[in-house]
Amino acid sequence: MSEFTLAPTASTAAPTGFSFDLTHRNALIESSSSTSSSNIPAKLPKALKTGTTIVGLVYKNGIVLGADTRSTNDTTVADKNCQKIHYIAPNIYCCGAGTAADTEKTTDAISSQMELLRLNTHSESRVVTACTLLKRMLFRYQGYISAALILGGCDVDGPHLYQIYPHGSTGKLPFTTMGSGSLAAIAVFEEGYKDDLEEGEAVELVKRAILAGVWNDLGSGSNVDTCVIRMDGSVEHGRNCVMPNEVGELRKKVRRSDVLNMRSGTTAVLGETFRKRMGGGVTLEDVVVTEMET
Amino acid sequence: MSILEYNGAAIIAMTGSNCVAIASDNRLGIQYQTVAMDFRKIFRMNDSLYVGLAGLATDVQTLDQLLRFRMGLYELREEREMSPEVFTNMLSNLLYEKRFGPYFAEPIIAGLDEKNMPYLATMDLIGAISKTKDFVVAGTAEGNMYGMCETLWKPDMEKEELFETISQALLASVDRDALSGWGGVVHLITPEGVTTRHLKGRQD
Amino acid sequence: MGDSAYSFSLTTFSRTGKLLQIEYALNAVSNGRTALGIAAKDGVVICTDKKFGSSLVDSGEVRKVERVHEGAGMVYAGVGPDYRVLVRKARKSAQSYHLEYKEPKPITQLVKSTASVMQEYTQSGGVRPFGVSLLVAGLDADNTPRLYQVDPSGAYFGWKATAIGKNYVNAKNFLEKRYQDDMELEDAIHTALLTLREGFEGEMNGGNIEVGVVGLDGKFRVLTESEVQDYLDEAN
Repeated sequence: MSEFTLAPTASTAAPTGFSFDLTHRNALIESSSSTSSSNIPAKLPKALKTGTTIVGLVYKNGIVLGADTRSTNDTTVADKNCQKIHYIAPNIYCCGAGTAADTEKTTDAISSQMELLRLNTHSESRVVTACTLLKRMLFRYQGYISAALILGGCDVDGPHLYQIYPHGSTGKLPFTTMGSGSLAAIAVFEEGYKDDLEEGEAVELVKRAILAGVWNDLGSGSNVDTCVIRMDGSVEHGRNCVMPNEVGELRKKVRRSDVLNMRSGTTAVLGETFRKRMGGGVTLEDVVVTEMET
Repeated sequence: MSILEYNGAAIIAMTGSNCVAIASDNRLGIQYQTVAMDFRKIFRMNDSLYVGLAGLATDVQTLDQLLRFRMGLYELREEREMSPEVFTNMLSNLLYEKRFGPYFAEPIIAGLDEKNMPYLATMDLIGAISKTKDFVVAGTAEGNMYGMCETLWKPDMEKEELFETISQALLASVDRDALSGWGGVVHLITPEGVTTRHLKGRQD
Repeated sequence: MGDSAYSFSLTTFSRTGKLLQIEYALNAVSNGRTALGIAAKDGVVICTDKKFGSSLVDSGEVRKVERVHEGAGMVYAGVGPDYRVLVRKARKSAQSYHLEYKEPKPITQLVKSTASVMQEYTQSGGVRPFGVSLLVAGLDADNTPRLYQVDPSGAYFGWKATAIGKNYVNAKNFLEKRYQDDMELEDAIHTALLTLREGFEGEMNGGNIEVGVVGLDGKFRVLTESEVQDYLDEAN
């Protein structure tokens, strides 16, 4: 009767309300292949990963976050220019590594909770709050939501940088790196990091750390994204601020063989239909109007 | 062999100048045995929005039904058409809800947005969205299709050239993939309407 | 809830076909402080006064115009605590909508879902109707500014301009005279404040008036005390 007493239906449930309807079926599919009685294939498909380099550091006047832009499906590059720096609040952003869908949906869900909290308390979001919400959620799912995050932002307490592992453990650090390219990136940080860097120096260091991942880790690649969050509340996005792998210009110089231009009639067609756009409705012009017999 | 390769599929979508095209093969198989040559893998969602689903056939059809249901509800409730962007997010959530027991299907979304600009997106089986401006591919012939598209695609093709390009990319790809083929179908989406063409292809 | 034989709805038809509880709720609304709104061609304004029985009340801690999501807000006349429940529900529904579609919830949808909650409380067991009428301001899916009123029964209406609460009849008469179809937001804010002053006892200032505006940029904002004061000064 009341909306309090009814369980939410599938269409209204928040995206974190997982459905396990198909898990049993999928387990059967997986196991029936190992028993040789059936020919159904065994391997269950893998989801998109962001074999990634993400970094973050605290500088004199705030936080700098950085990420590469490659997303991979096994060894195939699935997206050459994806975004790994996610919005949490106007003063808080979060880099994500791991399973692409997990990092995306987890940060979305937490960002939504943060906005509700902001509206209901009429106050600015704090980074600890976001960190706690994220770690609670990840811990609840025991590491099965594979999101490795670097959370950074500025609030009333100053700049904060957190590292969050998929199992829900967190660390509060002056600088950190995560993802498959984290080793390459941390080497750059260990060499170059100092307390109270100037903004320009900090951004350059972040770019160098991400580039170390781009060049030396196969799971990372393409461009560098950065995000500067300052203590005065301003945010500067450096989307694709370094693009060392642009092939567009080079490709333009290559004379494209005319063989590659497909001419009309190349393809054998068996039949054709055309469906006119109705724009969601039908007008009198679209139908044959016959007078009603009276 | 992965369960995504159980029935076989090849789907491509490409952008042109004020138009998009989405194409698929026609085969439904059970591993190496072909059982149908007229299997639908691309579904019309509205006048300017089509979705292609590559993967396990049972999940492909279930997803189509679920999408039509949710879209119908949205359009009745809001009295307007669903934009490709909103559709992509809805589908992504539909897939992610089953994060720990997914549908075995990879969707491709092709359409024109409110300003009649081309819209292309794809996602993995648990709903990680990736949007592109050139082309997207999914299915068992994925590697082949990537190769063909990287070679043949160029920006701002007019609709007839787009049709020939996507058709040739598809046909050449499925001819080197045992699990997909048996002809194909292409939907050319333009602001005026949608042209659907059936392609002649190898029957082996 | 609803299972027990004794928890039947309080809102039961009288023999004359009236739902008295809903009419009493409307009485609670018309006892409340006046709230009004105007939909201009390039935005919407909603406003109300906050006058209290005692001068000792800290008016800075009282918020009557609330933002629901980035591009929508509401104000009420009637029972304050009931209003807060509705605001929270509206905010939550706006967030679920945004998570599902990555688009702000259109104002019509927001009004419909809020109205559904209010209707449910006229037909459920163990509850009473909400003692508030709402004015909801925001942009529709096609970016047109809209102003809606939602009543305790769950009925909702779209308005060019309207008023609820104490003296709403006079305020509506005043608005009818002042409203123009090609009104701009700035004029609407002035007209809204003038209308509010008609029924206001004492002096209006930034501290006892609350104003919320949404422009074509789709950003709903509650004006600060000094902004309100500036508008009041301009009007003098």
